[in-house]
Amino acid sequence: MKTEGSEVILSINNVSKSFPGVKALDEVSIDVQRGTVHGIVGENGAGKSTLMKILSGVYQKDSGTVVFDGKQIEHTTPYQSMQSGLAIIYQELNLVNTMSVGENIFLGRFREMKGMKGTHAKARELLDSIACKVSTTKLVSELSVSEKQMVEIAKALSFKSKLIIMDEPSSSLTSEEMCQLVKIINQLKEQGISIIYISHKLDEIFEFCDIVSVMRDGHVIDTKEKSAFTRQELITKMVGRTIENEYPPRPLCVGDTLMEVHSINTHKLHDLSFTLNKGEILGLMGLVGAGRTEIVRALFGADKVRGHRVLIEGKPTVIRNPKDAKDAGFGFIPEDRKLQGLILPFSVESNISMASIRKFSRLGFLRKSLEKDIGARQVKALAVKTPSTKTAVRNLSGGNQQKCIVGRWMETSPRIFIMDEPTKGIDVGAKYEIYNLMKHIVEHGGAIILISSELPEVLNMSNRVLTIFEGRITGEFDPQKASVNEIMGAALGIVEGCV
Amino acid sequence: MNGKAIGSSLYAIVTKQKAFIAILVMLIGMLFSHTNFYSAYNLLDMLNSTSILLILAFGVTMTVVAGGCDLSIGGILVVSGIIAIKLLDVMPMGLAILIAVLFGAVVGFVNGFLVVHQRTEPFIITLGMGLLLTGVAQQLTDAHPVPAKNPAFMMIGNGDILGVPNLVLIMAVCFGLCFWLMRYTQFGRNLYAIGGDYEVALYSGINVVRTKWIAFVLCGTSAALAGVLLSSKLNTGSSIYGEMTALVVNCGVVVGGTSFAGGIGGIPQSALGLLVFGMLDNVMNMLCITSYYQVMLKGIVIVAIIWLDCFTQKRKREFV
Ligand SMILES: Nc1ncnc2c1ncn2[C@@H]1O[C@H](COP(=O)(O)OP(=O)(O)OP(=O)(O)O)[C@@H](O)[C@H]1O
Ligand SMILES: [Mg+2]
Repeated sequence: MKTEGSEVILSINNVSKSFPGVKALDEVSIDVQRGTVHGIVGENGAGKSTLMKILSGVYQKDSGTVVFDGKQIEHTTPYQSMQSGLAIIYQELNLVNTMSVGENIFLGRFREMKGMKGTHAKARELLDSIACKVSTTKLVSELSVSEKQMVEIAKALSFKSKLIIMDEPSSSLTSEEMCQLVKIINQLKEQGISIIYISHKLDEIFEFCDIVSVMRDGHVIDTKEKSAFTRQELITKMVGRTIENEYPPRPLCVGDTLMEVHSINTHKLHDLSFTLNKGEILGLMGLVGAGRTEIVRALFGADKVRGHRVLIEGKPTVIRNPKDAKDAGFGFIPEDRKLQGLILPFSVESNISMASIRKFSRLGFLRKSLEKDIGARQVKALAVKTPSTKTAVRNLSGGNQQKCIVGRWMETSPRIFIMDEPTKGIDVGAKYEIYNLMKHIVEHGGAIILISSELPEVLNMSNRVLTIFEGRITGEFDPQKASVNEIMGAALGIVEGCV
Repeated sequence: MNGKAIGSSLYAIVTKQKAFIAILVMLIGMLFSHTNFYSAYNLLDMLNSTSILLILAFGVTMTVVAGGCDLSIGGILVVSGIIAIKLLDVMPMGLAILIAVLFGAVVGFVNGFLVVHQRTEPFIITLGMGLLLTGVAQQLTDAHPVPAKNPAFMMIGNGDILGVPNLVLIMAVCFGLCFWLMRYTQFGRNLYAIGGDYEVALYSGINVVRTKWIAFVLCGTSAALAGVLLSSKLNTGSSIYGEMTALVVNCGVVVGGTSFAGGIGGIPQSALGLLVFGMLDNVMNMLCITSYYQVMLKGIVIVAIIWLDCFTQKRKREFV
């Protein structure tokens, strides 16, 4: 398709939107050019997702106009927006768990696909085009988070769209899948399709976005060509203050052995043993499906695994279920906040105080005022953006939901803190705060097991990195000494290494 | 297919379908009993007496798959039966039946309005609707059975074609229709999506309200059809028939493997679930088990099947 440099496909003019207690969007205006990748960055709760949901017809705007492809639009249902050529990948995964991959991609379009055969055949084609090998007949509930993400991308591609909105599509993708996504985005661009790309990962923004808008507190602060921004400037604009370093200095207080784990065996993990020291952040690295999540779930008693031995401070400890784990001083941030992390209709304070009920109950009676204090303390400590601690967690922005889980476990002052993608969807400023909290934990004799798909995060925060490949430990590194290539080689199972 | 594949698919059926196991157990058990369970006559009779429940179950399955349920079917069953019989006196049979069936559609429409459009709790709303209709039925009949005077009407529920009872034939047609609807049409697939995740279905551009609403209308319609057939079979209309029906049918649907949470299950599963009940009744009668024990045994079977179901699912989750 021939594209003109400055043709506007989507023009958002003075759009405002309020929720009870918050003005989520205040006179927002953005123009998106045809055939460009338009990045949108901003703090948690800045209003990015709200704006996108207005475009797709999930929410109705209070005022303002939206012109898409030459026509003023008043979408009142998601269906209308899809018909008009505007597809969206929502921040929270949007797939029906009880249905197959193929059916999910063509949800509501069974007739168009001429039945089940057509559905699966077309779905296969689409998935192949983005190099995703998942079987189309598999149930979505059996997929990993990143596989689900790829299915979502395939679903958005399946509409003949002129504009595709991606709201944090990469928050759970591995680096190879990310490469695949970049390829797809560039292909789409060549076809003249515009993309709105929302992410907290600034590397991505600088890698392939053409124009970047920065949002803060419901306002658009600035819109410029990518090349006109420096990284520092972008961060400053996002958070409203300067952040010198994205990572605090690495805590250096590693002490004696805190925990020994001997031979975890499941059908996916093979004879895994490792130790964790006091004051240490231990990073686990590997591809998705390597077994990182399985390891920590087994440790926390979330999956029933038998036969392994755990010694905490030399004492054998039996962990049969998450309750045992909590009592032994574990904290756990799970991979999927919507499924395993939060009770969405509950209030912020209930979600935060959930793991420390003992702290505010006497003889089985709850003391509401103490619960409130706990909620308020963590909301303040983590700067959770919410109208009040009584607000349902469902109504918070994605990153603020994540902070609630972090706060829940911070309240229990865990000795061994397992973090599976702790900063997923969290903005640069708040990440820094979380890193500081991690530092605080280890400096007080605790230890952290960190899993993250963000390589720099693991490399900058960990004292020691274990690489996992196909359920085996393939290497142990000191990230300050080893090179990235060495570590990645071991994580990909190419070379074994030890430093 | 090689032996291993057949084996694993058999395993899948067995672990997924507890109702199927229950039926198998009964079939095998009856091999050793000295009754005429295995006569063609008895098997057809069993199917015949389960047919009406099955027709009810097909409709209910649609609402349950969509994440709802319908407890008003007992009320619809009796009222539509009474309507058909009363109208027989004043108009041609076809028209009377049509009006009775349409009545069910209207009730379903109202249910749908309240549950889907107004977003109320289906369990309570349809329970209330069922009570209301039972009251209406008592009012209409003064709580006495109303006999039908038209022999042609009676023949619908009691006649047969080439030895196959009409009821079984009608049930088979309903089965085929509903199965096709749920499996091979956009409407059916959308029901699964809505039951699986309402919001996702909404965000994916499915007209959730209309689709789920239609499920309630179809459920009401099938319940009314069942009501007409029942009063034809018994040649009377009465307000007392439907008392336990709604519970039995909804329960049978779940026993068959259609989840109350929505999104899982289907017409064949529900058919199996209700066949368990039908066969259990038949078997217990054959074995001359007294009626108190019959009720107890039914309770045990329901609990056992649902428990086994959850048990294996839990096991599976832990294995993953
Ligand atoms: N349904 C809702 N009801 C009430 N408030 C809401 C609702 N949805 C969003 N909000 C509020 O609107 C504000 C903007 O939220 P939004 O989800 O758009 O943020 P975001 O920029 O996408 O943040 P993140 O980076 O964390 O995803 C937040 O303060 C949030 O609490
Ligand atoms: Mg968001």
